[in-house]
Formats: sequence, structure tokens, C-alpha cells
Amino acid sequence: MNSLYALAPLSIIVLASIIILLLEVFLKKENKNYLGYISVFFLTACFIFCFMSWGKDYSYFNGSLLLDNFALFFFMILTIGTLLIILMSLNYISLMDANHGEFFALLLLALSGMFIMISSTDFLVIFLGLEVLSISSYALAGLKKKDEQSSEASVKYFLLGSFASAFLVFGLAFLFGAFKTTDILGIIDGFNKPTELGLLAIFGLGMVIISFAFKIAFVPFHMWTPDVYQGSPTPVTAFFSVGPKAVGFVVLIRILYPYWHSLFDSNVLFTILWIVSALTMIFGNLIALRQTNVKRILAYSSIAHAGYILVGILAMDNASCVFYLTVYLFMNIGAFTAITAMTKKGKEYVELEDYAGAGFNHPWIGAAFAVFLFSLAGFPPLGGFLAKFYVFAAAVKEGLISLVVIGILASLVSVYYYLRIVVFMYMHRSAGKLDIQQENPALLIVLFLCLYGVLQLGIFPGNILVFIRDAVGSLPF
Amino acid sequence: MTEIFLVFLIYGLLGVIMVLVNKILGPKKTNPVKLKPFECGSPYLQDRIYPVPIKYYLVAFLFLLFDVEVVYFFPWALVFRELGTAGVVFMSVYVALLALGFVYAWKKGAFQWEG
Amino acid sequence: MIPTSYFIVLSALLFVLGIVAFFVKKDLITQFLSIEVMLNAGNLAFIAFAKAHGLIEGQIIVFFIITVAAAEAAVGLAIILLIYKQKKTIKSEDVNLMKG
Repeated sequence: MNSLYALAPLSIIVLASIIILLLEVFLKKENKNYLGYISVFFLTACFIFCFMSWGKDYSYFNGSLLLDNFALFFFMILTIGTLLIILMSLNYISLMDANHGEFFALLLLALSGMFIMISSTDFLVIFLGLEVLSISSYALAGLKKKDEQSSEASVKYFLLGSFASAFLVFGLAFLFGAFKTTDILGIIDGFNKPTELGLLAIFGLGMVIISFAFKIAFVPFHMWTPDVYQGSPTPVTAFFSVGPKAVGFVVLIRILYPYWHSLFDSNVLFTILWIVSALTMIFGNLIALRQTNVKRILAYSSIAHAGYILVGILAMDNASCVFYLTVYLFMNIGAFTAITAMTKKGKEYVELEDYAGAGFNHPWIGAAFAVFLFSLAGFPPLGGFLAKFYVFAAAVKEGLISLVVIGILASLVSVYYYLRIVVFMYMHRSAGKLDIQQENPALLIVLFLCLYGVLQLGIFPGNILVFIRDAVGSLPF
Repeated sequence: MTEIFLVFLIYGLLGVIMVLVNKILGPKKTNPVKLKPFECGSPYLQDRIYPVPIKYYLVAFLFLLFDVEVVYFFPWALVFRELGTAGVVFMSVYVALLALGFVYAWKKGAFQWEG
Repeated sequence: MIPTSYFIVLSALLFVLGIVAFFVKKDLITQFLSIEVMLNAGNLAFIAFAKAHGLIEGQIIVFFIITVAAAEAAVGLAIILLIYKQKKTIKSEDVNLMKG
């Protein structure tokens, strides 16, 4: 249905970020938390709008902006994710002497970039959304201006991110050359009709996939991830580990799903993605074993999780991928919230030794962190277990037995480094109590919400699964 | 043909008038620096190029952005008539966004020479 | 009339040169320049294909890519400047605080 409503979620978010930027320069109040509350208000409005327009299929700009259920579902979970990140960082920003207005506005702009990518059906618009997302992300990574690690993270993310964008542009040029259009459906039609330009098109598609592999951080395109995740401010790291990854998978599903059967039967792309998935699971988990920095451990863990989700894509089962991404959002944001809590003025505690005894000194945070780590490792009855189960079950049904065996072995390895953090928290004697500034209500709310999400998705996933089936069913074929 | 002639005439006259008004109304103060030959900020006689501290790099960045954003006006101007009201509305939104960005940069103090 | 394939070969060449320069050069600004070369290789390919197919869309896309590149340049140069202020160097091997 062609309607201006299709622009509403995007406009709400962009408007919010502009209002916050202007308020930030015009009103110089001491307590800038009100900017956070304003963004929470707008995000809630956006969420409610998305919920109301479920199933209505609004579209605009001749259908190149399409709010089908698939897009709306990701709008909603990414809105929730951003909301959680804003709540958890209310206190963190003042502790780190960063600028409130810049942080919230950039976060919302990044969210708007993700909205553009998710809801668009034209590759040019996807590219523009990707750039809105990436350019805001580069600035977000360097938000702690006095911290050298933060600036290094920023410059590394910038160089490798724009390197990946150049691949996307070049690949798009070749797809355009082969099919005379940048529309996804047009490209799909082109692939289904063999032409003499087939090689050109495959080359272009390969470049596009490489560029998204950079963004999602598949091995061997993962080298920027650990450094960027370690150096960025912790809430921003939580955002990077969830947002761009989810959006990358959405675009991959959108471009691969319609010609899975024609492309995957030809085996070249299938074999490449199979190898990438196996490598991602193996290397992500193995390198995580010898890390001592908690943020780096979670960075490698996020690489490994991308590998598991790719198994779902190879099994041609969208619903399990979407479910995995949903669970992953809650457990990863939860884990990073716990790390954000371990902060005092101007200092973050991110080394494993810092967590010695933290489970007893800070019982709430420690317990919640342990639950999230168990979920990431895939223990039942938590969400992480069910997510892995669905993905691997779908893969077994498609006969990808060896890939599933690799995945299960890799996740067994991963148990070691997740539990290592728990062991440090509960079985090591602390040198002294960490003087962290916790008991911050917003942070505890986020921890509680993430716990609720992980448990709900792990024990009673029924309601969400209905939503996800509805969402996946709306994909055009 | 006369239209083009008129355009050149009006804008040419406007230029001449503005220069003349400036000559008549403007204050006439001179100082030694002002009378020197213009040389892009650096001293006009020096044996090699010394590194200049660039206070104005923010202006350079902003110029880069706003200069390139203007590129969208050219295709818009070409199809201005066919687009009708919708075109005007979309372009005003675009210009408003640019203007808000400009206001933000201004209030942030990006154009201040001192400090 | 120059055949389209010449332009495509030139753009592919530029793209590969950009990749090589990105990995060979040891200085943040030059690495960034090589990324710009890669982006412009994409632009050239777009324009060549647009001319070959007689489609105006390719040229419009180039407009978008140019503006995006400008935005990227502004943010990127600001970040590199930040690095320079902190470290007094822009050699990429000096950006090495994090290892693991």
C-alpha cells in the first residue's frame, strides 16, 4: 500500500536525533540525562508505530521503501536494542566525560541508517543506509576523545569500514552493468535469466557479499573486530555487536533468499559460504580461548555467533536465523550491560583479573552476567540454547551434517572461555573490592529486561515464533 | 534571447552597483598589513613553505560537506518543472536539514577563530 | 568512440591499485586516499555502464556516491586529526595499543 506512513519510523528517529543535537547546543544544563529520556520517548513512539502497522505493508517511493513484516520485525527488535543501550549508558557517559548529545544523536542516526537498509528494496538505497550507519559508527567508536584506545578503534573501524564500502560500490557497479538496474527484484530476475553477462554479475554479487562479510565480521574479514570492540566505549561496543550484524544478515537474507535454489545448487557460492561459516565458528572460538580482556573475548564470541547464524542461512531456514538474531540481541546487550556496570570515573574494568570475586561483591550484576554467559555458551533452558538448537536442527534437516558437527564442537570449545569469566567471578579471591559506581536504576532495569528476554525466549518462545513466522512469510519470492 | 540579455544586464548592473555602494558608503581605514600583496595567509616573502597551524580545519571540513551536498541542486533544477509541488517540498526538507546542520556547527563554535 | 570494455578494464585496474596501495602504504592519509581511488573506480564503472546502456540512473548514482565519499572524508579526516593530536604521528604502525 503506497502511503506516507512508510516514512514515519524513519522520520521519527531522524527528527529525534536532530532535536537532541539542537537541544544539546541550545540548552546547556548540568544534568543532560533529559536528552536520554527524550530519545527513549521517541524510540517508544517508533516502536508503537511499528507495532500498529504490522501486516499493513506500507510502501513509498515506488516501492523502494517497503515496510513488510520482515522489516517491521527488525525495526522493532533494533528499536528495543537501541532503547536498552541508551538506558544502560545514561550514567556511563558522564563517567567517561563524553558528550551526551553527540552520543544519543549519533546512536539514533545509526539506527535510522539501519532502518533504511532493512526496509529498502533497492541496492543504491541500501548502500546509502549502510553509509549513514557506518559514518555514525566511526564517530561513535571515537567518542571518548581523550582515550587513545578509543581513537585507535575509531580509525581502524573507519579505514576497514570504508574499504568494505568501496567493495560494495564496485560490486554494485558490476551488477548495474549486467542487469541495468540496482533494484533487488530486478537483479533477482536477471539471475534467473541467464545472459552473456553472467560472469560479470557473479563477480558483482561476490564483491557485494564480501563487503557485507566485512560488516558482519566473517572470518577471514574479521581482523578489525577485536580491536574496534575493545577500544570503543562499552555501550557502543554492545551496539556494534548487535546492530550492524543483524542488518548485515537481513540484507544477506534479502539478496540470497530468492535465488537460494538456483545459486546454491550451482554449488560455487554454497561451497564458499560453507567454508566461511566453518572457519568463522572455528577461528572465532579458538582465538577467544587465549584472550584476557573481557571485551575481546566477547568480540571473538560475536564473530563465532555470526558463524552459527550463517549455518542457518546455508540451511535455507530464515526463521531460525531471525530467532537467533533476536536471542543474540538480548544476551549480548545483557553481557555488555554487566561490563558497563564495572566502571568508575574515567576507568573501565575489562581485564579478567578485575572480575575476581565480583560475583560476591556485586551479587546482582555478577549473577546476571553469569546467566548471559551461560546463554551465550548455549546452556538450556536459556535462549541461547534454543537458538542454536533451531539453527542446527534446520541444518541437519538439509543434510549439512559435517557443518553441524563442526558447529557443535566449536560451541563446546566456547564453553571454556565463557565459563572462565564465571570462574573468575565466583572462584577467585578478589584483591580488594572494586570501587565501581553501580546501583544505577537504569542499568539494573536493562539487566532485568535482558534477563527476561533471554528466559522468555528460552522457555516460552511460542509467541515470538509466531511473530517470526509471520515476518519471514512476508518476504517476496 | 532578450531574456538572457536582461539577465546579464541586471546582474551585471547589480555587481557594478554593489561595488560602487561599497566605495561610497564603506569606511576607509588602512593599515600596513592590509596594503601588503595578498598571499593566502602566509608572509609574502619567505624562502620556503613553512607549516602553518591550521585553526580553520573545521571550516575546511564543513566546506567540504556543504560544498558537495549542493550537487543535488543541479539535477533537481533540471526537472524542477516536472516535479511540481512535491519537488519543492522534498527540496525544502533537504535544505532545512542542511541548515540545521549549519546551525549546529555554528552553535558548537566551529567558526570561531579564537580559542 | 572508445569501447566500454576499455573503461571497465581501467576501473578494475584502479580498483586493484587501490587495494594494493591500501595494504602497502604505511600512512593513514595515504591509506584513506587509496580507498577514495577504489570508490572512484566504482564511479567510473557506473558511468561507463550508464553510457553503454544509455541509462541516466548510473550517473545519478555517481552523484550519491560522491556525496557519501565527501561525508566519509570529513569524518575520516577528523578522526585521523584526532590520532595526530594524541600521538603526533599518522604512521599506521604506531596505531598499536591493542593486541591480543
